Amino acid sequence: MLEDLLKKGGLAVNIAVLLKQTPDTESVIRIAGDGKSIVTDDLKWIINPYDEFAVEVALRLKEKHGGSVVIVSWGPQRVVESIRTALAMGADSGVLIDDEALEGSDSLGVAKALAAAVQELNPDIVLCGSRAVDYDEGQRGAMVAELLGWPHLALGVAVDSDGSKVQIDRPIEGGKVAAEADLPAVATLGGSHAVWNPRYASLPGIMKAKKKPLANKKLADLGVDPSECGAGAAKIRVTALEMPPERAAGRIINGDLDTAGKARELVRALHEEAKVI
Amino acid sequence: MKLLADERDIKFVLYEQLHVEELCKYPAYSDFSQELFDMVIDQAEKLAEKELYPANKLGDQQGCRFEDGVVRAPEAFHKAYRHYCEGGWLAIADPPEVGGQGLPFVVANAALEFFSAANWALIMYPGLTHGAARLLQKYGTPRLQNIYMYKMFSGEWGGTMCLTEPGAGSDVGNLTTRAVRNADGTYAIQGQKIFISSGMHDLTENIVHMVLARIEGAPRGTRGISIFLVPRLRVDENGNLVENDVVCSGIEHKMGIHGSATCSLNFGENGNCVGYLMGQENKGMRIMFDMMNEARLFVGMQGLGHASAAYLHALQYAKERLQGAPVERMKDAAAPRVPIIDHPDVRRMLMFMKSSTEAMRAMLHLAAYCIDRERVAESEEERELFQGHVDLLIPICKSVGSDLGFRVCETAIQVYGGYGFISEYPVEQFLRDCKIASLYEGTNGIQALDLIGRKLTMKRGQLIKNALKTTREMLIKFRKNFRLNELAQIYEEAEENLVQVTKFFALKSMTDEFHVPVLYAKPYLDLFGDVVMGFVLLWQAHIADRRLQEIYRDHNAKDEKAQKRLIQENRSAAFYFGKIASAQFFINQVLTQAAGKARGIMNNDKSPLEVPVDGFVLG
Ligand SMILES: Cc1cc2nc3c(=O)[nH]c(=O)nc-3n(C[C@H](O)[C@H](O)[C@H](O)COP(=O)(O)OP(=O)(O)OC[C@H]3O[C@@H](n4cnc5c(N)ncnc54)[C@H](O)[C@@H]3O)c2cc1C
Repeated sequence: MLEDLLKKGGLAVNIAVLLKQTPDTESVIRIAGDGKSIVTDDLKWIINPYDEFAVEVALRLKEKHGGSVVIVSWGPQRVVESIRTALAMGADSGVLIDDEALEGSDSLGVAKALAAAVQELNPDIVLCGSRAVDYDEGQRGAMVAELLGWPHLALGVAVDSDGSKVQIDRPIEGGKVAAEADLPAVATLGGSHAVWNPRYASLPGIMKAKKKPLANKKLADLGVDPSECGAGAAKIRVTALEMPPERAAGRIINGDLDTAGKARELVRALHEEAKVI
Repeated sequence: MKLLADERDIKFVLYEQLHVEELCKYPAYSDFSQELFDMVIDQAEKLAEKELYPANKLGDQQGCRFEDGVVRAPEAFHKAYRHYCEGGWLAIADPPEVGGQGLPFVVANAALEFFSAANWALIMYPGLTHGAARLLQKYGTPRLQNIYMYKMFSGEWGGTMCLTEPGAGSDVGNLTTRAVRNADGTYAIQGQKIFISSGMHDLTENIVHMVLARIEGAPRGTRGISIFLVPRLRVDENGNLVENDVVCSGIEHKMGIHGSATCSLNFGENGNCVGYLMGQENKGMRIMFDMMNEARLFVGMQGLGHASAAYLHALQYAKERLQGAPVERMKDAAAPRVPIIDHPDVRRMLMFMKSSTEAMRAMLHLAAYCIDRERVAESEEERELFQGHVDLLIPICKSVGSDLGFRVCETAIQVYGGYGFISEYPVEQFLRDCKIASLYEGTNGIQALDLIGRKLTMKRGQLIKNALKTTREMLIKFRKNFRLNELAQIYEEAEENLVQVTKFFALKSMTDEFHVPVLYAKPYLDLFGDVVMGFVLLWQAHIADRRLQEIYRDHNAKDEKAQKRLIQENRSAAFYFGKIASAQFFINQVLTQAAGKARGIMNNDKSPLEVPVDGFVLG
């Protein structure tokens, strides 16, 4: 502990990363018969890429200042693989809230469960993606902060902490904002893969991950009443899902024409066929 | 859609067909679980997609450069190589004592599928390093291991296999590189090697060559060959790295794998090249045979990797490219244009690619799985059984993997149409990169000779007898499914054709027509490959059909109409339906030809040998 505290650059920070498992962005998504959910059989699942950035940030902070990183997630047992992957990247421990009552929860319901888990873990910083690539509701971090009564720094593309405060940079139209808050605090991450370059889990990391602690929790273990965060409590209902329209074929302007002829034909096509000019 | 390898199908092979998770019950693998295998495979896929594949085209375009005796690997390779080594991927299945992870070989092979699909030219570097490190692990002294081996398994230093010389290609026994005993027990090496992959490059600080040479006074031919560890920089008594008189005189300009340095190496031009004997004097060939199975499987995996990437790219293209009217409205100019996947001929090509790729995948991972079973065997009898399966399968895996892999790449170009021929699209590179697989590590002609000359005769024919015993036992099970009866029937006939040709060969080899089996060794190997692939696909259909029926039942899809709808809507149902379709296509289109192929061989046509050389063409 003392060692951790003495690491240069400030005090050790204990970090909780809220991690969601989402369908692989490369998967072909099909809408289920009910028109409101997706077909999940034989689907491949990954760590929500924005939450993977959060894991990366947490590990960098830990490397710099010492401390620990705990992964908090929810969902069925298949989520274990995603948590273990984060452990293989270097996180220290994991908590999975696996409770049937959470099926059909809205963002607030999930946030209640997560906030309860965070409270028990008592970290200095909570990190998560600003959004998830599945339903893109963008509420989780903010709601957890609200439920905990902690400040929320949104959309960070650079994050640092000295053990007493957390600082972020956020891009804004034409510039950036630097903001900070005293700990404990929640920070949600924006940016892209190129900004964060989350590390790969190495094979030795994977081997170590299997021995790291991973706790399974029910809502009751967290002192949360299922009726307050389950489907029954949901205030938001998804009413429909729709696929984007299929892309029409591109058209190549006749190659026999000279440049001027092609330009004329292009203008005609845009005007008469596409009706955009 | 991911475009390197079909992860779902890989997991089908691993868990639903081979049940590799059951390997975890053996002490050697008891630390592992299916969940851990999944993580390994997922991370391999990620690394392949994000680091290796983006460097593939760049490596092809820039190639390797030779300047002032130094070889530079493509710039894009450096970062990817570092990620690969740092992740520990060079030694997935090697024991922890040497810095490996000790995972099952078949899991390493599954990871390799992604890597080979993503960037074969790059994977050659760690691949050869691994082979050389394994040789050192098995045949080196502890001292040499301490100095060289650990740095090789971590990828810090590279490695090569140096067999080929201008006069010694297929005929390794003809090599002229010499080794002279020094007073201190080392050897002075002198000679020239050509075509040495990774022979010189700037990805690593040092390179450790495994050089085949003849010790002064040793017998001619393969009986007089020894293997030496010859580092580019040797570690002297004081622990310093010093030059070891190994010089690269040039690199080849090639059809494909431009990113892999193919080097000419001169050893001992100044009489100052030190080599350390591996194993015993004159036992080099035996050592090579011992290392050969894994090396040849590795090359088979190259063919599979290219086939897999080519198929998935072509599939993606076929779903997007609009051209032509649907076949029902062929003459209707007003008919909407359809994606080319709707054209029956394109479907046929895609099914050829799908079924071939899946068959190769199952066959190659089966071979890897047999290597695991050999490693964990609990009795000598069991070990021998699996070793026999491996020995028999290897020449087929290497030859069919490379030849059929190439054909799948060619078909991908066909699916793309003219665009496939254009460098802007990736498939022409797959084809160019793939071709070498049928040539190195023993040409496919040599693989066929290995099959008929060594494998069929080993233990008085016991290898093929054991294999047939296994397939026939399993066939009884497959036969119980009436929906697969017709496919099983075709398979059984093809297997019988193979048996007939095998007997024919055995008879001929005892007469003065012994050159007939030599003449038709390659068609025989191909027939053998068809039968093996037909078998693994039938096996898969047997599993897939059971799963599909379960899904129908679970969804209460009783009639054809409901079932048709389900395979449109349910992803698992679509997958299993596709698996059965692969078996149907391959068995109906390829395996039915077995009788013709067998007849072609057994007609005993000796004209290729009888025709005078002038009869080929009058010069
Ligand atoms: C890109 C590349 C990388 C390579 N990497 C390495 C490497 O890392 N290390 C290394 O040692 N070598 C390497 N090689 C060499 C490779 O293994 C040889 O090219 C191969 O063994 C064939 O030898 P050859 O080219 O001399 O052909 P040849 O032996 O001359 O063969 C020519 C043809 O004759 C056939 N043939 C020859 N002998 C027989 C026979 N007895 N019966 C029937 N048919 C026969 C062959 O099948 C082939 O079709 C590499 C080659 C290339 C092109």
